[in-house]
Amino acid sequence: MKNDVFTFLIGGKAGEGVKKAGSVAAHIFSSKGRHVFQMDDYMSLIRGGHNFSVVSTSQRWISSHYMKANLIVNFDKRSCETHINDVDEGGIVIFNSDEQEDVEGIGVPLSSIAKKYPLKSLMYGVGAVAVLASVIDFKKEEMNQIIKAEYPRGIEDNISFASEIYDIVNPKCGSKFPLERGDYKRPIITGNEAISLGAVASGLDTYYGYPMTPASSILHFLAKQAENFGLAVVHAESEIAVINMAIGSVFTGAKSMVGTSGGGFALMTEGFSLAGMTETPLLVILSQRPGPATGVPTYTEQADLSFALSAGHGDFLRIVASPGTIEEAYYLTAEMLDLVWKFQTPGILLTEKHLSESSITVDIEIEKAKWAEPKMHQGENYKRYLDTEDGISPMLFPPSKEVIKWNSYEHDEFGITTENANIIEKMHDKRNKKIKVIQDYLKNLNTVNVYGNGEPIIFSYGSTTMSVLEALKYGNIEATVVQPIYLNPIPVWNLESYREKENIVVEMSSTGQFASLLKEKVGISPKAELRQYNGRPFDPIDISNKIKEVL
Amino acid sequence: MENLKTSAEITWCPGCGNFGIFTAIRNAIPKLENKGIKRDSIIITAGIGCHAKIFDYLNLSGFYGLHGRNTSNSEGIKIANPDLKIINFSGDANGLAEGLAHTMFAAKRNQDITFILHNNSVYALTTGQFSPLAEKGWKGPSTPKGSYEEPFNSMTLMIEAGATFVARGFSGDIEHLTNLIVQGVEHEGFSFIEVLQPAVPYHKWAEYRERVEYLENEPETYFKAIKAAKEKHKFTVGVFYRTLRPIYHKELYGEHNPITKRLSKETRLEKIRKILESK
Repeated sequence: MKNDVFTFLIGGKAGEGVKKAGSVAAHIFSSKGRHVFQMDDYMSLIRGGHNFSVVSTSQRWISSHYMKANLIVNFDKRSCETHINDVDEGGIVIFNSDEQEDVEGIGVPLSSIAKKYPLKSLMYGVGAVAVLASVIDFKKEEMNQIIKAEYPRGIEDNISFASEIYDIVNPKCGSKFPLERGDYKRPIITGNEAISLGAVASGLDTYYGYPMTPASSILHFLAKQAENFGLAVVHAESEIAVINMAIGSVFTGAKSMVGTSGGGFALMTEGFSLAGMTETPLLVILSQRPGPATGVPTYTEQADLSFALSAGHGDFLRIVASPGTIEEAYYLTAEMLDLVWKFQTPGILLTEKHLSESSITVDIEIEKAKWAEPKMHQGENYKRYLDTEDGISPMLFPPSKEVIKWNSYEHDEFGITTENANIIEKMHDKRNKKIKVIQDYLKNLNTVNVYGNGEPIIFSYGSTTMSVLEALKYGNIEATVVQPIYLNPIPVWNLESYREKENIVVEMSSTGQFASLLKEKVGISPKAELRQYNGRPFDPIDISNKIKEVL
Repeated sequence: MENLKTSAEITWCPGCGNFGIFTAIRNAIPKLENKGIKRDSIIITAGIGCHAKIFDYLNLSGFYGLHGRNTSNSEGIKIANPDLKIINFSGDANGLAEGLAHTMFAAKRNQDITFILHNNSVYALTTGQFSPLAEKGWKGPSTPKGSYEEPFNSMTLMIEAGATFVARGFSGDIEHLTNLIVQGVEHEGFSFIEVLQPAVPYHKWAEYRERVEYLENEPETYFKAIKAAKEKHKFTVGVFYRTLRPIYHKELYGEHNPITKRLSKETRLEKIRKILESK
C-alpha cells in the first residue's frame, strides 16, 4: 500500500446507507483539499444483499479506488466475510459485535445501539462516518457539523448515535490516520454527471431515455435539471421510442441525446441506422455493463466495443469516442455533440459503469466545452441533401417557407424517395465523402492521450485508463500509456508509430475486442494482453503486479 | 391546392383509396390556413407502406421515418418545438402492428398531434398479408387458410388508450373526411382519425359504398362513446369521441419551448458553475 493513499471501505446491506456514508466520507476528504476516488459496488436489488462503497483519497490526483483499505466498517457478518482480505497491513476493521464475536478487529454493538433510535436502517451509515471521524482525528464538534449537513432527517438522534459510536472506537483507534490537508477543495462528480453537464454546456435541448443501469442516472440528473436549463427530458416507453423521438427532435434543430446500456442500444440500432440515412446528428451515450443479454446489470465491462463500431444496417459514418477520465467525459461529450452536428451523422460516446457511476474530485474548466452549431442554409431553393464538396448539406429547420424533407428511404437531394440507380450511387458517395473529411478534421483535435514515456507501451481505452494510470503510480512502473479517445475513425496517424514497440493491451473484454481493433486497424500486435471480465473494475495493485509479470 | 403537390411520380394503383386521402388533406390545408394555422408550421410524418407514399407527393416539410416508428418521430418533433402542427400518417400495420406501442403511448400522453390511420385492412405493399384491422379469415400469402385473429376495434382501442379526438372517415367521402382532418388538427390533444380506404387489388369500392353508414349523433360522454364504438359496425363513420385533458408538452414544461426559448451558452455555463460549487 502506498502511504500517500488512504482508503476507507464500508460494507453492508442495501438500504443501510452504505453509498451515502461513502459519499459523506468523500466530501470530508475533499473539504480538506484532498483528491478522492469513490467506487460503489452494489447488487441488482433494493433491500438486503451486500453492497460496499470504497473511497480512496490522496493529496495528489488519484484515479482509482484501492481494494486494500486502511479502515473497514462492516455492518454485518456477510460484509466481514466478503472483505476479510481487503484490509491493508496495519489497517483497522470495525465489525458488528451483535452479529459475531471472535473475529479480528474492533467490535461495536451497532445493532443494539441503533435499536435505541428510530430510522434504524440509516443509522448504520452515520455510525461509519463516526468511526471515520475518530480515525482521522476529527473532534466531535467537527463530526456533528458534518452529520447535521448530510443527514438532515432526525439530526438529534443521528448525532447522539454517532457520539456513542465515536466514544466506543476512539480509545482503540482514534487519530490513527490523521489526514494532511491538500491544496484546495474540488467538486466531486460522477461520470454520468460529467457527461450530462458536458452535453448541457454544448447546447443540449432534449434528452430521451428508458431506465437502464448504468445509464439511468443521466436521465435522473437531467430530469431534475430540466427546468433549470430549459430542457425537455422524457422517459419514453422503450429504447425504440427513445431514439426515434430524439431523431424527431433533431429534425426541428434540437440538440438531442439518448443514453442507454448494451441491451437498450441493441433496440436502438434500427434507429441508429435511420440517423445514418437521414443524416441526423444524434449523440448516443452507451454505458457498458457485462453482457451478453441481461448480463450483470450493476457491474462493469468493455465488451460492447465491436457492437458500437458496427451497429446498424447499411453503410454510414458513425463517430465513436470514449473518455478515459471523468473530467474528459465532460469535454468529450461536448466535443462529440459538436462533431455529430458538424458532420450530420450519429455518434456514440462509449463508456462503462466504472466511469458512469464512480465519483472523483475534478478540476473542470467549464467554458472549454465546445458549442454545437450546424452549417446553415441561406436563401431560397433549399435542398436537404444538397451534394456539396465535403458531403455536408447545409441545414434548415421548420417553420420555414422552404420545404424540408428528411427521408429514411434512399432519396434525391430534395429528400424525395428514389430507386434510380444513378442517384442511389451518388447519394452513397455523398455520405461517404464525410468519412474522408472527418479524418482530416480529427487530425486537428486531440484524438489520443499519451501519458508517461518509454517502453513498454500500455494501450487502454475508457475507464480502464484511470485504473492503469493509478497502477503505474502504485507500482512505480515506467511506461507509456496510450489511450485512443476516438475509436472510429480510429486515429491511425497517431498510433502507427507504436507498431514496432513493446506493447501491452489492457481491457475488460474476455475475447479482447480492443486488442483486435488495434490489430486490424493499426497493425499493432501486442506482446501481452491483460483482460479482466469478472464485472469488477481493475484494482491498481492487482494490475500493477500483472504488468510487472509480463514485462 | 396544386402547389401542395411535389413533382414526384405517383405510384399508387389507379383507383386507390389513398387518392381520396391525398385530396382531402390538400383541401384541409387551405382551410387550416384560413383558421390562422401557417402552412410553414405544418409538419408531416409517415411510416412505411402504401400510406407513406403521401410523404413524397405532399409539398410539405416533414420526416419519412421507419416502419412503425414515425409516431415517435412526431412526438419528438412536437416536444422539441410545440409551435409546430404535426400530421402523422400511418397504415394499419404501421400504426397498430409494428408501431402499436408508440401509437398507444402517444394517445396515453395526449400528445398534441393528428394521427391519420389509412385503414386498407391489408399489407398492400408487401403483397396482401392480413393486417391488424383485417377481418378474421383473410387469405393472404402468410395465412393461406385464412387468418386466425380477430381485428382490433380501433375506436375503442384509442379511446381506452387516451386519445381525446377519435373519429372515422371514408376516402370515398372527401368533404366529410376533409372536415374531420380540419377538426382533428384544430383539436388540442391526440386526434386519431381512421380512414376507410380500399386497396383496389384486394378490396372493391362497392364493398365500402354499400356498407358505409354515418354516425347519427356524436356521443357526449366517454361511456356513450365506448358503447357506440362497440355496437356500431366498423364501416360507421363520424366523430366517436371528443374531450379535453392536459396535453403532454404543457405538462412537461408549461409554456416553454426548448428551441425558441433555448438558454444561451453563457447562462448555461453560469448554472453549471453553480452546480459544481455545490458538489
